[in-house]
Order: sequence, then C-alpha cells, then structure tokens
Amino acid sequence: MSKIISLAGFVFAGIMSTSALADGHGNHVYGPFPITLKGYSGDKTNSVSYSGQVGRQLLHNSLKKAIGKSAGLETLNSYFNGSDGDLPILDPVSSDKFMVDHTNVNNISKTNLSGKAYKGDIAGWPGGMSGKKVLASMILRASKVDGGYDPKHGYDYAQLVSKFAMGGVFYHQACDNYLDEKLEAGNKPNNKPYKDGAYYTGKEHSWDEAFGYWGAAAHGATLSSEQNYNIAKKKDMVSADANSDGIVNLKSEMNYAHAYYASAFDKGGKTKYYNTITQAFIDGRRVITDAKGEALSDTERNTIMGKARVICSNWEKVIAEAVFKYAGSVYGDLEKLKGGSDAKAYRKYVKHWGELKGFALSLHTSHQNLGELGRKIDGLIKFGPVVGGVSPSQISINTQRVSGVDDAGNFTFQSASVDEYMLYMLRLQKLMEDEFGVVAKNNDKLAGISNLAEKLGSGESVEND
Amino acid sequence: MPEIIELIFSDLSAQFLSPRKRLFIGYLACAFCIAVLWVCVINRTSLKKGLVMIFAPAVWLSRSSLFDVFCFAINRVFFSFLRPALFTHLTIATIVYQLLHLQVLMPIGALDYVNYWVATSTFTLVYFIFDDFSRFGVHYLMHRIPLLWEFHKFHHSAETLTPLTVTRTHPVEGIIFLLRTVSVQGVTIALFVGLFGSKVDLLTIYGVSVLGMVFHSLGSNLRHSHIAIRYPVAVEKIFISPAQHQLHHSRDPQHFDRNFGVVLAIWDRLIGSFHPSIDKEIRFGLTKSDADFTKSIWSMYLTPFINLFRLLGRLKIHAPKGFERVK
Repeated sequence: MSKIISLAGFVFAGIMSTSALADGHGNHVYGPFPITLKGYSGDKTNSVSYSGQVGRQLLHNSLKKAIGKSAGLETLNSYFNGSDGDLPILDPVSSDKFMVDHTNVNNISKTNLSGKAYKGDIAGWPGGMSGKKVLASMILRASKVDGGYDPKHGYDYAQLVSKFAMGGVFYHQACDNYLDEKLEAGNKPNNKPYKDGAYYTGKEHSWDEAFGYWGAAAHGATLSSEQNYNIAKKKDMVSADANSDGIVNLKSEMNYAHAYYASAFDKGGKTKYYNTITQAFIDGRRVITDAKGEALSDTERNTIMGKARVICSNWEKVIAEAVFKYAGSVYGDLEKLKGGSDAKAYRKYVKHWGELKGFALSLHTSHQNLGELGRKIDGLIKFGPVVGGVSPSQISINTQRVSGVDDAGNFTFQSASVDEYMLYMLRLQKLMEDEFGVVAKNNDKLAGISNLAEKLGSGESVEND
Repeated sequence: MPEIIELIFSDLSAQFLSPRKRLFIGYLACAFCIAVLWVCVINRTSLKKGLVMIFAPAVWLSRSSLFDVFCFAINRVFFSFLRPALFTHLTIATIVYQLLHLQVLMPIGALDYVNYWVATSTFTLVYFIFDDFSRFGVHYLMHRIPLLWEFHKFHHSAETLTPLTVTRTHPVEGIIFLLRTVSVQGVTIALFVGLFGSKVDLLTIYGVSVLGMVFHSLGSNLRHSHIAIRYPVAVEKIFISPAQHQLHHSRDPQHFDRNFGVVLAIWDRLIGSFHPSIDKEIRFGLTKSDADFTKSIWSMYLTPFINLFRLLGRLKIHAPKGFERVK
C-alpha cells in the first residue's frame, strides 16, 4: 500500500511541477523539490515528505469528531495514542461535492498525537499537569459525558481537546522543535540523511515536518484566502484539486488546523497570515534545496532561521487572533445570557469558551516561555467559564466557576461574577492587541470605542479658545 | 533627521489642511467672508476700506502677531514630540469602559435597544455640550488659580488678536488642555458605548463633528481678531459672540474674568461672569505690572516658571496643631 502511495505521490509531484511551472506558480508551491542527498541511488525524485504530520492532522480532525459523536474512551484513545488496527478518517470524509483520496489514517501514516504532545507544565488547566497529560485527562473526561459536552462545569471537550492539540502538538512541534532545535548546525545536518535509509537530508526533512504541522495545502499560496478557507470547509473541490485528478489528495491538497484559521482571519482583508507563513516555508525550503546536499553555510542557516522567525511569530499571531476572537464571542454570549436562561445560547457560550481556552493554552507551548504574560492570560480566562450554581445556563443566580480539582479528581468550584468576567474578556482582547499585535481583531468588543475615538480625533486639544 | 523634519512638516500642514483643525483654510475663508459681510454690509463700509480694515498692517504685522507666529512654530515642534508620549482618549475610554463593568448603577448596554439615529444624535449633542462645559471650566480655573494664571498670561499677553493667537499657548497650559480633551473624549465615549453599545456614532461631515464644523464655519476664528462682531443681547446670552471673547482679552480691569465660555454663554451666566459685548474699542493684553512678560519670546516661555517659584516661595504651609516644630 505504501508503495502505491509513494507512486501516487511521485505522479502527483510530476504533475504539480509541470502545471505549477506552466502557470507561473512554481515559486508559490511547496514542492516538489529534487533529491539532493549525496550518494542516494534510489528512484525517488521528490525529497518532500511529511506524511506523518498529515497523519496527525487527520488524527486530530477525527478525534474532535469522535468526541462530538460520543465515542468511547478506547476509540478516542486510538486517535490520541495511535492504533495498529484500522483508524477510519472521520473528517474529512468524501461527499458528492468533495471527494478525498483516503479513508484510513494508517494508510497515510501510522502515527499518534500523544507522542508529540507538549511535555512542559500547563498552569492554565486544573490539576497542574503536563500538556500531554492535560490532553489525556480531557479525553478521559470527554468520554464520560454526552458528545463531550459538560454543562455543569462549562466544558466542551471537543473544542478544548481540538484547539489545545493544535497548539500542544502541531505548533509546539514546529516552533519548539523543527524550526528551533533542529535548525542548529549540528542537529540533523543537511549533508546527512535525516535517518538511516532516508532519501532526504536532515534539514530538508526537519523543514518539511514543520510545514506538515502548519497544515497548508502545498499550492495554498497560489489561492485566495477565500479559496483556502472553503477548501478547509470542504466547499471548494475545484480549488483544492490542484492536479485536476478529480479527487482531493489529503497529503498535499487540503488545509488543516492553524492554516485554516489563518485563512479565516485573512478573509477579512486586514491580514495575510496564510500566505506569509506558507511562502516563508517555500522560500526556506528552496534555500535548503539549493545547498545541494552540502552542510548549510552560516549565511544559509541564518536565512532559514530568519524564515523560521517569520513563520513562528506569525503563527503565534494566528493563535492570538483566535484568542481575541473567542474572548469577544464569550463576552457577547454573556451579554445575551445575562438577560435570562437560554439553553441554546449557553451551549454556544460553552463552545466558544472551549475554543478560547484551547487556543490560549496553546500560546504556552512554543519555544519561548511567556512568563508574566502567560500568567496574565491564565489569570483572565481562569480554569472555567462562569456558570450558574442552580442551573448552569442560569448565570444570573449563584454564579461560580471551576477553581481546581480535589484529591478524588473532581472539579471544585468558587464563586464568580459575570460582570467581572466580561471585563476580563475585554482585558484579554486588549492584551492580545498590545502584546501580540493582532490585526484582524474579529469580534472586537472595543471596536465601538476605537471607532468613536478615531472620529473625534484629538481636535484642537493644545490650543486656547 | 529627515523623518523628524517630515513629522514636523506634516503636523504643520495638517493645522491648515485638516477640517478637524481650527485653522483649516476653509474655516479661515468662512471667517473672512463673515468679516467682509460684517464690515461692508452691516457697518456700511466700502469694500476697499473694509479690506484695508480687515487686513490692517497694524494688526497683522504687529510685534504681538509676529510672536504668535514664533509661538505657533515652537509649540508645533514641541507637541510633535510630546504628543505620542502622552496617553490618549482611546486609553482613557478603554479604562473607563472596563471600569463600567464593575458598577451596577448603569448596566452595560442598558439602552442598547435605542435606534442608531437617536443614539448617535444624543452622543453628538451631549459630547458637544460636555466638551464646551469642560473648556469653560478649565478656562475659569486658568484665571482663578494664581499658579495656572501665570501660564495662561502667555495667551493674554497678545496685544493684537489674529486667528493664529488661538495657538499662542504656553506648553504647560497646552498639556493641561490636552489632558482635558482626552479626558472628556475618553469618558464620554466610554459612557455612551456602555449605555448604547457599539452602534453609537458621531454625526460627521467630511469626518468632522457636525456641531464642531458649524461652530468653526460660523466664524470661530473671529474670536481672536479685531473684527468686533456682536450678536443681539438675547443671542449673546446663549452663544458667545466674537466681540464678547475680545472683551475677555481686554486689559481694562473692569472686564477681567468675564466670558470664559467658548460656544455657550450659559455657563458664564450660571456663575455670574457673563458680560455682553460693548460698542467700544478694546485694548488687548496684560496690565502694566506685567509689561516685561513680552520682552522676548524666551521671557514669555520662562517667566511663568520664575513667577511660579516665587508664588510657591510665598506659600506658607502651616503644620497642624500639636505638630509645630520644637525650637
């Protein structure tokens, strides 16, 4: 089977290279890149390889879907820890409008999420655990509630697991490992294979792995943000199918995870996260390829480290934009819920909070310690959303939030104020703007203020009358 | 270095090219037209004589007017650098809006149901009134508090008035005015967004507040001029005429501390400082005791500080009973 995939990849690479060069998009497509490894005598012609990362993208997508479908713990863990048996891809699945080329994760790569999860401590989640244990704990709790939805504590585990896994695995691996430690001169050098028997060099594969975690389609930089967004939403088969073979190749023609979120923010027209990051990946890969299998010179390494900084700083901004957006959503939800109990609005609120928390926890998982800033973020979001003590959705009475876990592993509560929490959401948006320089600013709850401030200007402020 | 020059020049040009500024050429043109109408039509003077009167060299080319130009240039440079270092109306609005979440008297979004036009018209009007009142209040304090008066003398030292005199402001009082502006704007914005939600807007024409544009288009620049445009007393009791403000600049002690207002006269009437305009030539400037104030540009900038230290030295601070120093 793997030979068939390799052959398909080879054919695809050939078609891509021909079509990409023909339409002038060659500089904006991630691959194919030739084999440069010295002494390689096999039949491979394309050195690009990141099927393990695509496998993890599909495990993540499927795990989220499985939680939503109330799958049992064994099934959830098979997506988190990997499995020797069949692992059906639950998302994306083929439909009449969007055909995909695989149905089983293990046919793309036999891999797992847990082995690559962040091992540092996560202070923003009750229990004082490592990132990996936080994810395992969330999955365990998700398996005990219907559809991963825990109204009592205000947790939507499908969102929490998904958004934190995107950071705690993908962002962490790319920016704390492949684009960080593995760019050091002595680590995975370019004049040696990545591992014994590999057809790609150490640096080539390190870079490819990071690109796989980013989650962009290889040809994504040739498309508009609208097209990329619709590919991730499985609504635009034509844009996705770069080689026009009538099927979407999940390894190279699909947008996943943070790349999808980047396209969503870029749609607003104020940012170009998707293209900035994807192009930096392409440019960096070209520098490595141009070294022709020799160890990278200091200049070449400095160039790709510069590209890595562009990638990771913008990637961090994408996550900060998501925190900004969902802080605004939570604020808006609380405005509605203050008017009275509403089960539907409460469900949305818990979903948005899960997204907010998952993205915020992700910010902690890059190579740099956020320090005081990280404590501020955790301090504003807290361990849980404000919920009603009598009925969770009735947030006007006896309001409380999760404050920690007791010895038996049960969540404990403390009293909480809705108005105060709304204020925290505003402060969180301000913090994202001041510290991360977010630009798209979706759901900006201070937009009314900025608009009026802009219109009033500073007038004749320093003049006499 | 070129960036600094560019910054200063863009600031200077904005003073005359932006409709948000008092000295916008459009407002100056309006003031000129009103002056011509007043002199030639109302006062029945020939156009030629009228123009000679409006552009009287004794006013425009006076030493005082020349000082206005220097002060304008010096202050623009000073504030080009200082402005970015001071906090803004946006900062204050954000802080106040956040604090509103911690009180219960005015729930956030309490008037969220009010339609856009009502919310926007109310904001535009209330801001205009609040802004006018605060200008009156600060101006009153500049006159009544001796420490502040030392700096406000800078403005009152003008012996001839031209539209540029509006910028004849000591940097210290400039900072006070700036803080007033950002505070009023910040608090009003926060209160209105807190009450009406983010739909609240400002009624504007070409990006300028409608009411501000009306005030400036109706000859606000003539307040600092020698064209004594007067309104009927009934109108002057509501809106301050240029002649009433010129009376405020009079060096005659019987006119001291009168007409602090900018647009509305009602504030002066409330505290008894209202004075209708008079049909008599007014001499502008400081009294003889401050004759040295305008000795040079530098004395204008430095004298307030010297006087300030003298004033502080004269202040006797008494220790509370029981805490007197033991000799």
